[in-house]
Amino acid sequence: MVSIIGYYTTQFGELWEKSLSDLIEESITGVLRNTRLEVGQIDAIFFANMLAGVLENNLHTPSKIAEIVGVNIPVFRVEAACASGGVAFHLGKNYIEANSGKTILVVGAEKMTDHSPEETTSALSSAASGEEQEAGLTFPGLYALIANYYLSKYHNKEEAMAYVSYKNHFHGSLNDKAQFKRKISIEQILQSPYIAYPIKVLDSSPISDGASALVLSSNPSTIKKIKKSVAVLSSEVSTDTISLNKRKRLDEILATKLASDKAFSRARLKRSDIDIAELHDCFTIAELLAMEDIGFWKKGEAGNRINELETMYGNNGELVVNTSGGLKAAGHPVGATGIKQIGEIFLQLTEQAKNRQVKNTKFGLAHNVGGSGGTAVITILGV
Amino acid sequence: MISPVKIWRRQKEIKQNLGKKGKILTWTIIYVAGSEFKTYAPYPVAVVKLESGKRITTQLVDYRKEDLKIGQRVIVILRKVREGTNEDVLVYGLKVKPIF
Repeated sequence: MVSIIGYYTTQFGELWEKSLSDLIEESITGVLRNTRLEVGQIDAIFFANMLAGVLENNLHTPSKIAEIVGVNIPVFRVEAACASGGVAFHLGKNYIEANSGKTILVVGAEKMTDHSPEETTSALSSAASGEEQEAGLTFPGLYALIANYYLSKYHNKEEAMAYVSYKNHFHGSLNDKAQFKRKISIEQILQSPYIAYPIKVLDSSPISDGASALVLSSNPSTIKKIKKSVAVLSSEVSTDTISLNKRKRLDEILATKLASDKAFSRARLKRSDIDIAELHDCFTIAELLAMEDIGFWKKGEAGNRINELETMYGNNGELVVNTSGGLKAAGHPVGATGIKQIGEIFLQLTEQAKNRQVKNTKFGLAHNVGGSGGTAVITILGV
Repeated sequence: MISPVKIWRRQKEIKQNLGKKGKILTWTIIYVAGSEFKTYAPYPVAVVKLESGKRITTQLVDYRKEDLKIGQRVIVILRKVREGTNEDVLVYGLKVKPIF
């Protein structure tokens, strides 16, 4: 059994004083301090990053990390667009399962705010198909195509999407590491300008800097020394066509469904067992789809159920979603996101989530998506 | 620089789809574009299902506001897709326009 024994995240936001290397260093130093581990006790590092190669001509990061940390252990870089973090975690878990008794770091980091919005938008669209790039589609644009289809098919208004943002901004206001720590109203969201109709600025996750790190181990003596640990019950990855127009349905993310089915089956849990979830809300429509595709809600139901805000902290719902603020309010430093999601579940399950702590949580789920659904990762944790 | 070789490789796909008719499955208007398309924004992009069943993703041109709707019939045409510097070749590709 692989356990998560520690977590640290930097502040997410516009961190102009920090480089990618600074962020990586802070997250690794932070997680080692939290777990009282020496760097010599780490057997390997899995590193998630998407854009450094495209935006800042910065590759061969494994060797750069070896220099930062002062190690000669295996370091691997993992890239799966916005699912880089979740996939790195998956590979790290598999590495431990193949090398019993090892302790590893899974680190995700991204530096995005050194560049203009157009440059970052173009770089992100490298994760779309050639045809989609040639049509001038952006990431918001891809999700906008899905959103327009979904809202039309299920007769929902844009307001349905706004409730996701409203809820996640409220959660962000409770998270001191979040990029946006302020609440916003439904009216503010609806009045914000479109970036890709029907997706508005306040439906969208921001461009962010940040890094997050987890320690995973199956070493009994290492785990025993740490009082707070959670078990990784399953971590499953699925893929689908990169092109939106080659998908069977435009109102679902098939990769999410497939990864969820595998993950619940492996963990031997029911959907109703999950108390807390971090879902990939890069755009508000994505959280609505995820609620359905994971199987918490029925297909077509999310647009009518979200306005009851049963998944908001403090509303005594059976499932609370995105207590970190989600990508929307906590920020979306692409490579770090999947790690932060799992880290937030770790904080909740070990009762370290402070003023946003959900009571009596036993099982949690993290959902990380790459591109417009070309990759999906579901991770289920338990105490 | 825009690679003429890349453009040449795409030519055969253009020929296959030119003049084909279909319907809009879903659409959006891009207001915030990437660097290469910034000068053209805002512009609509649609997923179109051709009569053959094949789906393409492309920009919609020569439209009125009321043509932006799911189910709108369109035809595939040849249009300039983007341009680079003065010395680059112009890039032509597929777009669609409404038909009635």
